Amino acid sequence: MKIPVTLRVNGESYDLMIAPYRTLLDVLREEIHLTGSKKGCDVGDCGACTVLLDGKPVNACLVVAATADLSEITTIEGLAQDGNLHPLQQAFVKEGAVQCGFCTSGILMSLKALFDRNSSPSADEIKVAIAGNLCRCTGYAKIFKAVESVIQSS
Amino acid sequence: MRFELLQPGNFSEALEMKKAYGERARILAGGTDLLVLLKDRKLKAEAVMSLRRIRDLNFIRVEDGKGVRLGALVTHGDAAASPVIQERFPELAEACSQVGAVQMQNMGTIGGNLCNASPAADAAPPLLLMDALLTLASATGERAVPIQDFFLGPRQTVLRADEILKEIFIPEVPGRRGATYLKLGRRQAMEIAIVGVGVAIRLNGSDQQIADCRIAMGSVAPIPLRARRGEQVLRNQTIKDELIEEAAEVAAEEASPISDVRASRGYRLDMIRVLCRRAAREALARAQRKKQEGSK
Repeated sequence: MKIPVTLRVNGESYDLMIAPYRTLLDVLREEIHLTGSKKGCDVGDCGACTVLLDGKPVNACLVVAATADLSEITTIEGLAQDGNLHPLQQAFVKEGAVQCGFCTSGILMSLKALFDRNSSPSADEIKVAIAGNLCRCTGYAKIFKAVESVIQSS
Repeated sequence: MRFELLQPGNFSEALEMKKAYGERARILAGGTDLLVLLKDRKLKAEAVMSLRRIRDLNFIRVEDGKGVRLGALVTHGDAAASPVIQERFPELAEACSQVGAVQMQNMGTIGGNLCNASPAADAAPPLLLMDALLTLASATGERAVPIQDFFLGPRQTVLRADEILKEIFIPEVPGRRGATYLKLGRRQAMEIAIVGVGVAIRLNGSDQQIADCRIAMGSVAPIPLRARRGEQVLRNQTIKDELIEEAAEVAAEEASPISDVRASRGYRLDMIRVLCRRAAREALARAQRKKQEGSK
């Protein structure tokens, strides 16, 4: 039996009829058609599904969608403002911090949450912030380089 | 993964629902363990009761002269970032900041960590050091259970089918107390502890005189446990390095680790000794850094 749920995603409200056991990740991707959040492991290990719940990074695959109706949800699609990429996104493009791209949106969400709290994080703080986001292509070096460039230009 | 979703709006409603559903309803706090178990079909639940709408279960409150009370929904991230916890119970802040990674810490709760009763639960050894009291509530009343009596085995606790963990109370410890929790994994994040050891030391006036020592261990037995005989080696003793080594030896004898995918029994026993020594030295140094009463 489906239940009515209203979710606030990237500043917009969505009135949905969903099964009570569906995860936020599945609802974002399959009902709201925001497919930027990726499904990697689906059990909270890889971080590819990272979204922000009230500004804090969480694994959308471990959130029951119907319980997220009290929160503001931000996904990768909400990062650009007025058609301009977020400075972190611009830096990722410029520094080539993206290879296959599957981890990228999750990593950007984790980093956005970090920068919202702290505009000049240390190298260690950056590593801790994305410790829950697995990237198997870049070796992280270019990701850190991109983040450093954002800190330096701010 | 399929279930009926229960979303009580307040705690008494939750207790009534739990009474009605009993074992058929699983409690959902942060979901970082429960949803993984449900998805892997290691656990079946007819109904899942989310506590997310209950706002008064998420607090960290200092009760002057008595201790600190935590609501069962305090997340690892909240506890790790709390100045109250960092200052009074650094070993709990350290344990919480080593759970999974940021995403887990933002969702996972200390209450859920305890109720899941994993032998490797990071929050358990620190709370064992503190003799924390758990308030278990049901529609018919509440009872306070010392944490050392809470765990029965892997994924088993004394929680009855109609009960929900409501609060965690940490009694104030007077005097110069130093404590730390050390976790061993193959890497620094996204790890389940191979071994976790917490040590708390309270000094008696002099920097060299130990009034009390407590040692708690995780991932070394079916439940997180205190090393009571190891503690005894250091209690009421003048500090000596040989005593720290002896306490670590005795603590390892009290453990009964298994060999599994993460480590062998022998390696775990060795690491208990290593972590125990390191944690004891760090706890001692922390206690010594605290000013003596009256010399402030």
